[in-house]
Amino acid sequence: MEIISYREALRESMESALANNDNTIIFGQGADDYKGIFGTTIGLAEKYGKHRVQDTPLCEEGMTGICVGAALNGIKPIHIHIRADFVFLALNQILNMAAKYKYMFGGHYDVPIFIRAVIGRSWGQGAQHSQSPQALFSHFPGLKVIMPSNSQSIIESYQYLLNEYSGPVISLEHRLMYDLNFDVDRDQIRTGKDALASYIVREGKDVTIVATSIMVLEAVRAAKYLAEYGIDCEIIDLHSTTDIEHSLIIESVKKTGKLLVADTSWVSFGVAAEISRIICENAPQYLTAPVVNVGMVPTPCPTAKSLEDLYYPNLESLISKIINLSGSGKNIPIPDEKSMADVYKKFKGPF
Amino acid sequence: MTSPNLYTKLFEQALKIRLVEEEIIHRYPTDKIQSPVHLSIGQEAVAVGICNALTDKDNLFATYRSHAFYLAKGGDLNAMMAELYGRVDGCCHGKGGSMHLAAPEVGFMGTSAVVASSISNAAGAALAAKLLNKNQLNVVIFGDGATEEGVYHETLNYAALHQLPVIFVCENNEYAVHSELKDRQSYSILEHAQSYGIATQKIEKGYDFIEIDKEFSKIADTVRTTGKPYFVEIMTCRYKEHVGPGEDFCGGYRTEDAVNHWKSLDPICTDTQMVERLSPAIMQEILASIEFAENSPFPGLEELYQHVI
Repeated sequence: MEIISYREALRESMESALANNDNTIIFGQGADDYKGIFGTTIGLAEKYGKHRVQDTPLCEEGMTGICVGAALNGIKPIHIHIRADFVFLALNQILNMAAKYKYMFGGHYDVPIFIRAVIGRSWGQGAQHSQSPQALFSHFPGLKVIMPSNSQSIIESYQYLLNEYSGPVISLEHRLMYDLNFDVDRDQIRTGKDALASYIVREGKDVTIVATSIMVLEAVRAAKYLAEYGIDCEIIDLHSTTDIEHSLIIESVKKTGKLLVADTSWVSFGVAAEISRIICENAPQYLTAPVVNVGMVPTPCPTAKSLEDLYYPNLESLISKIINLSGSGKNIPIPDEKSMADVYKKFKGPF
Repeated sequence: MTSPNLYTKLFEQALKIRLVEEEIIHRYPTDKIQSPVHLSIGQEAVAVGICNALTDKDNLFATYRSHAFYLAKGGDLNAMMAELYGRVDGCCHGKGGSMHLAAPEVGFMGTSAVVASSISNAAGAALAAKLLNKNQLNVVIFGDGATEEGVYHETLNYAALHQLPVIFVCENNEYAVHSELKDRQSYSILEHAQSYGIATQKIEKGYDFIEIDKEFSKIADTVRTTGKPYFVEIMTCRYKEHVGPGEDFCGGYRTEDAVNHWKSLDPICTDTQMVERLSPAIMQEILASIEFAENSPFPGLEELYQHVI
């Protein structure tokens, strides 16, 4: 077992991609500078050359189209955006071109581009530096979307997607996790398509929590707290929002009868809505209580700390929703923790 | 002196494209072609002149108005016709239609129905060609309207910055759907491209495939040698409406005289002797392609779900 931070796992994956395939090129604003995309590309331009770790002009759509064209002609581009919000400038190339190039031309072409986009949420990032667009990208056939919640997930899924997969990928990395340390067991690395699969983080019998990205960590904290009061949570890390394993969720709900979805974005039309759809369509009879969703409130992200703490879910709101859903434990004290950002900024790990 | 052989070869290619599209017009009322068609009639010489300077190894990226480029680049007529008819033997198995043609075996790399979308793809393919030492040209075709899109600017900047072996070809037919160029642009297309330090050339006689072949061959040779980007503007004329089989002057946004002036210069309209001599053999080929298309099965459920990822 090793302890590897989220950031180190990303840098290791970037270096492996360059080392494993001479045709891999990293593109990103500041990819070759002293900060190296939050430390995930530091030193790589010096080692592999500036033509393979390229700074780019400020042109998200153009660069994405250039990556698509390069991918059609033998290059494996990795395109990095330090804020997921910036990717919206490239939607035409991602949604109209990359996602459809293989299909609309009858399978003639593959577009192996790997887009890394950072969910910029920490504190004070405001409406345009904090968004989490997994629902948007997962809606369009042709794309793979992953939301790694720990270092092992990064190492195994990046290894598979960069070395073996030949279609367009969007990885949404969470900025708040970059400094967290995680246990990595190299002997337990999932390979092939298994590296994308949803998996059970914690087994339990009372409530099923399906979570994405940092909400997996929040769910684990809530579960630990509630275990002391006799509420046993089962937690599923969705990991990929495009490769959801329905049976895993259905079997868990069959056992617990209760489902809570915790996502990093808005609830409506999002991951919460999709997981609810899966249960409603396939196994509504297993539910013994209505589904509960945890996400951001339906407003743009505000900047003031007092508003931001109301906007994002926190341990207090998550735990009280789980308690209500479980239908027991009215006397359980609710922890007084109203700011998730504060927790992770102080956090020293490992999980 | 143009060799008679070259004139005949290019004339035959241009005539074939025109006759194919006239046959599409003829058959369109049957509703067997259920795909919007953006016809190249009037613009064939641009495709023929450019593609004569390219090899199968060179890549061409184009637009929704690309029957001409697909055929000039060497795409199979049967496969194109089957694609228009929505059949499984179409070049994209019935999943592309008229607006999304592809023929990778001859370097025809696909077409987009969203204006300007392929421009950056060609620059990316040129970057790959340069890094992988492919000795390959990447050429992109787009209309005058595409130069108004932001991504066009982004791509010229990147191609110039990284000195990529890409040729940008603006087919200027002066109309974007029904809007005239003078109502849309505050800049000169050529001067704008020059401001990036990219070499440029304008070809006025867009009806003259010999002239286009001569000029474009020189440009292609230059880019093969220097590895630097080049920009070419070719003036041309769309005889048919933006989309569909009708005439372009019928909507009242342009005059019949303007189109007729161009036709008076267009060899396919003026050299009736050549048309008479070459048409019968070409028509046989076209009718055979329609038969091929109509005999090809419709794609089904298996095809629907194939090639998504």
